[in-house]
Amino acid sequence: MIRMPAPKFAILVAVASAMAIFSPGQSRPSAALNAGKAWTPPKTSWGDPDLQGMWPGTDLLGTPLQRDPKLGTRALLNDDEYTQKEARAKLVGDDAKDLPGVNIGSPIWWLEYGKPTRQASLIVDPPDGRIPPLTPEAIKLGEARDAKFHLTYGVERKVHGSNESWIDDVLALVEPYESNLYDRCISRGVIGSILPGEPGGYNLGNQIIQAPGLVVIRYEMIHETRVIPVDGRPHVGSGVRSYMGDPVGHWEGSTLVVETTNFLGGKLGLLSNGGGTPYSDDLVLTERFTRGSEHTLNYEAIINDPKTYTKPWKIAFPLHLNPNYQMVEYACHEGNYALEDILRGVYAEQTAAESAGKAAK
Amino acid sequence: MGFGALCAGVLLIALPLRAHHSFAAEFDGNKPVRIEGKVTEMEWINPHAWIHIDVVDPDGKVTNWMVECGPPGILIRRGFTKKSLEVGTEVIAQGYQAKSGSFRANASSITFKDGRRLFVGGSNPDLQENQGKH
Repeated sequence: MIRMPAPKFAILVAVASAMAIFSPGQSRPSAALNAGKAWTPPKTSWGDPDLQGMWPGTDLLGTPLQRDPKLGTRALLNDDEYTQKEARAKLVGDDAKDLPGVNIGSPIWWLEYGKPTRQASLIVDPPDGRIPPLTPEAIKLGEARDAKFHLTYGVERKVHGSNESWIDDVLALVEPYESNLYDRCISRGVIGSILPGEPGGYNLGNQIIQAPGLVVIRYEMIHETRVIPVDGRPHVGSGVRSYMGDPVGHWEGSTLVVETTNFLGGKLGLLSNGGGTPYSDDLVLTERFTRGSEHTLNYEAIINDPKTYTKPWKIAFPLHLNPNYQMVEYACHEGNYALEDILRGVYAEQTAAESAGKAAK
Repeated sequence: MGFGALCAGVLLIALPLRAHHSFAAEFDGNKPVRIEGKVTEMEWINPHAWIHIDVVDPDGKVTNWMVECGPPGILIRRGFTKKSLEVGTEVIAQGYQAKSGSFRANASSITFKDGRRLFVGGSNPDLQENQGKH
């Protein structure tokens, strides 16, 4: 292969990560260096807490949404587990060829690893780091979907509390006309847009821009932008529904609190890329953005959808500032030849099957 | 349904690294292709970049193939630039043809005439094998 120049991106991530402060419970040399220095969160010229900047999720890559059940309620990896995770993130080229799971998609060493976190899962509540069980109503809906598409995920759903995101890949094969919103390059939903991908992802840029009365969040993939009013206005009427919902924000001290409602239910799930069990119209997301240090933005989201989940659950993780991260446009609907190929492929198969059927008669 | 169920079974065993689009839904794992010719265009588009290659058969007939790569964001961040693959460059791409039978295929890497290899990031079941060769 051609030797590529050392990617500046990787170096910059390393520098940014080294400067950043870890999430609670973790230790890092820079944390010790900063100890004793009072840090005052910056403010915008109009007096709001200043969260602006590029906050890519690269450090989260390799951290699963749901915790490995064998870790129980242990939220952080131990030294051995962390060393393994760190080594995996550094693997390149031939050294990575034996990694499991590289047989479909870009090679794992192409992904945008930053400094791995010690978090054992992105879900922090319930304490076992697992999605709570689905409600009987949601299980019924899921079973109806399984029956419609001849899938057999009932057991999976009951055991894991939710479909895993790859069910959509399976669905693309069984029923290509039902391609999900991600495959169609339309949306990954709010949570699906900020999760790093499970187990791997790319285009992990998140950017915050502020103006008086507004906070704007851009997600690199799929070029999604949320315009969040922080001027005290109420939510729009309940008849207005959308994939990304209606966000309304306010400040609690230096924390931005965003409540998002008015979702269009039954379309997207809350796993990476909007996969998993579709949430209902009643989903209420409560997100908190708090600048923990100059280089750290602590993010958390409480997911409350009583029609789908038997109790609320919460994800939380730190994002690290990387002013040198550049978003690449991800407008992909227009150039999505893949979907065209998938549909042409199934049409060709159907035509061939019909011809074979006629010949047999 | 029989075919779908079969593919679904294969996919479950493979437990994929989540690609944006399923390889098995788009390409035919039983149709390996070797595409040798000159690059006519590189489309820097999402969700996958595409390389167009003119292939000349022994009778002189020219067929323009399209080869699916990874997303531009991944290519750019790994140092792939406009100059990495100029129009007119002679390359060989090995991958799998689209299930539709059209002149489209995927590739995880392409090879130049002098043997150098350039990763292009497309999904490909042969990826591990390819990684071991360079």
